[in-house]
Amino acid sequence: MKRFKSIVVAAFVVLAAAAYLVPAQPVEAQSSASLSIVPKKNYTIEPGKNIKDTLTIRNLDADAPLELSLRVIDFTFSDDGGTPKLMLAEDAPQTTWSLKPFLTLPQNVVIPAKGTKTINMSVAIPANQGAGSYYSAIVYSAGSTEGGNVGLSASGVTLVFTSIPGQVKEDLSLKKFGAYFEATQGKKTGYAFVTADKPWAIAYTLENKGNVTESPVGTITLKHMFGKEQVIPDVNPNKSLALIGQTRTFTACIKLKVEAVAFGQGTSQSSACAEPTLWPGRYSLALDVFYGQNGNNTQEITKTGSFWYLPWWFVIAFLVLLAVIAFFVWRIVRAIRGRLYGARYRRSSRRR
Amino acid sequence: MLHRLFRFHHLVLRWRSIIPEEFLALFVAMFIFAIPVSADMRMQNRSLFMHSAEPGVTTSYTVSFDYMSAQAVGSVDMLFCIDPIPYHECVTPPGFDAASAVFSEQSGETGFSILSKSTNHIVLTRLPGVLTNPSSSYTFDNIRNPTNTDEPFSIRLRSHANATATGPQIDFGSVRAQVTNSVVIETQVPPMLIFCVAQEVTDNCTETNETFYSNMGTLDSETTLVAKSQMAVGTNASGGFAITANGAPMSAGTSVIKSPTTPTESLPGTNQFGINLVANNAPAIGKDPEGEWANAIASPDYGIPNQFKYIPGDVVAYSPNVSLMKKFTVSYVLNASASLRPGVYTTTMTYIASGRF
Repeated sequence: MKRFKSIVVAAFVVLAAAAYLVPAQPVEAQSSASLSIVPKKNYTIEPGKNIKDTLTIRNLDADAPLELSLRVIDFTFSDDGGTPKLMLAEDAPQTTWSLKPFLTLPQNVVIPAKGTKTINMSVAIPANQGAGSYYSAIVYSAGSTEGGNVGLSASGVTLVFTSIPGQVKEDLSLKKFGAYFEATQGKKTGYAFVTADKPWAIAYTLENKGNVTESPVGTITLKHMFGKEQVIPDVNPNKSLALIGQTRTFTACIKLKVEAVAFGQGTSQSSACAEPTLWPGRYSLALDVFYGQNGNNTQEITKTGSFWYLPWWFVIAFLVLLAVIAFFVWRIVRAIRGRLYGARYRRSSRRR
Repeated sequence: MLHRLFRFHHLVLRWRSIIPEEFLALFVAMFIFAIPVSADMRMQNRSLFMHSAEPGVTTSYTVSFDYMSAQAVGSVDMLFCIDPIPYHECVTPPGFDAASAVFSEQSGETGFSILSKSTNHIVLTRLPGVLTNPSSSYTFDNIRNPTNTDEPFSIRLRSHANATATGPQIDFGSVRAQVTNSVVIETQVPPMLIFCVAQEVTDNCTETNETFYSNMGTLDSETTLVAKSQMAVGTNASGGFAITANGAPMSAGTSVIKSPTTPTESLPGTNQFGINLVANNAPAIGKDPEGEWANAIASPDYGIPNQFKYIPGDVVAYSPNVSLMKKFTVSYVLNASASLRPGVYTTTMTYIASGRF
């Protein structure tokens, strides 16, 4: 019995000593879901060459580490805007413009709380690869959470575009052109030919039937019915792209407001539409856009259009003015007829 | 009947005296404004090949185009500007320099030499001659590329009958090009996308309540279960951002609670799972987007109060351009019919923030 007691005491002492000497394993921390990433990367790479670059990821959470898994997926367009449609399914077929076979990056990364990590990536283009645009997306997925009815998870995406120079097929055709309203809370976007609201932007819709992404440049001239002319010098201020096969609407502000804004540790440039000075009436529009890759033909698209800006106050004022003019014309006609036909006309008009 | 006809005639006669045809015609004429469209002859198949497209490097340019008019040509004017439109003011692309250009090669219409050259202007001259081979190209060495990778530049081309590039032009056209870096070198704050998701987040994503799920309670056919989560997003990228909501609808085993595919009000007693991103009062849950950037909005279908929808992969919020930090509150509603199979219904919503192109 004494021997048994001494074994138990010894075991207890060893356990206590081990517990004291071996550092405690922390309980597995919840992964952060606050991240900062690069939204877009652009490269021009000749066949047979490669580019090594870095991706900087920040964990904004002050307490939890950010555990991310990285994977490359394809994407296309979701509508006539610039929102990517991500092909998230594991068995999604590879697109003809996929950059997946050429892109290399790590599969997992852990970033400590409030930390920043720079990871290496590379894009290697085979020597026999044809000219054109290739693009895919890097998805950074934070671990999902078990528990509750609705679990939450956050992911970020970097869009990667690569242009391989050479002779390419470029084919843009104009589909629409006119005054345009951007979406506001609860209202959808759209063109307008007659509008009571002041349009802030002019837009043009181009269909891309080539094998490269296109970013047109050029000007739009806006002319009021009584002659005042205004030139929109940059028809693609955000350097937007028409993806392969996409029918893309490009918007240009009639009045562009560019300002420096504080962001992160520095400043950035913000450009947005401001309220333009427009008089009521008819506006004629002239579009002149250019596109073309290095070494390929420069293509030009020209088109004219128009829109009516008729605010309600103007319509009402116009009708009132019309009524006043009609009244005076009526008075004049009456006076002339009175003089021509004398008392007989005045009597008959009184009877009426 | 005759009496009515007289009254009608009387009425019409009165209006005839108030609004004569002449006045009506004048009114209609005010709305007819036809702007004539002119179409001029342009050089065709215009292109520029920069032997190196790196910004600021000295390289060779090959300018190609087809002469279109069957007239004798004695000179070609090449003006390098940011804007391609011939009648606009010409601003020299920053860093560009053609003052030391050397005319090294010509094909098609030949016999040209450089008459004059400056920083952004080259004039080619020859003895005026009729066109025999209109598809032409001209190569210049020792031209320094522009330095601005954000902005394309253009060459405004004109051909003239005389040898000095003066007087009326014969053909014209513009060529567009852009220098590109192999690897983009950032000079100011690089584009970044900030994004966070949790049950509660702060406006700038620096803090969350570290809760990444919501318990909605016990389903019954008379009560609408609700939950909310928040996400904050911001980007200084000129293309803006888009957030998609992903994840299968709520399910327990093989039993799935379907979601409306168009905005629909909450209907207790039916199987329904939906979300929106604005303040609601039926049921009372949610908040309108918070933050000063008005261009960051909930997508139209997810921005209608008291109307809910969910299609996996839908864009639920976006901004078409720079938008620095906006906070969205997502409201979830869950209704069940009396016949819904018992079970623990769950889903994981993955919100994916991306830049736009």
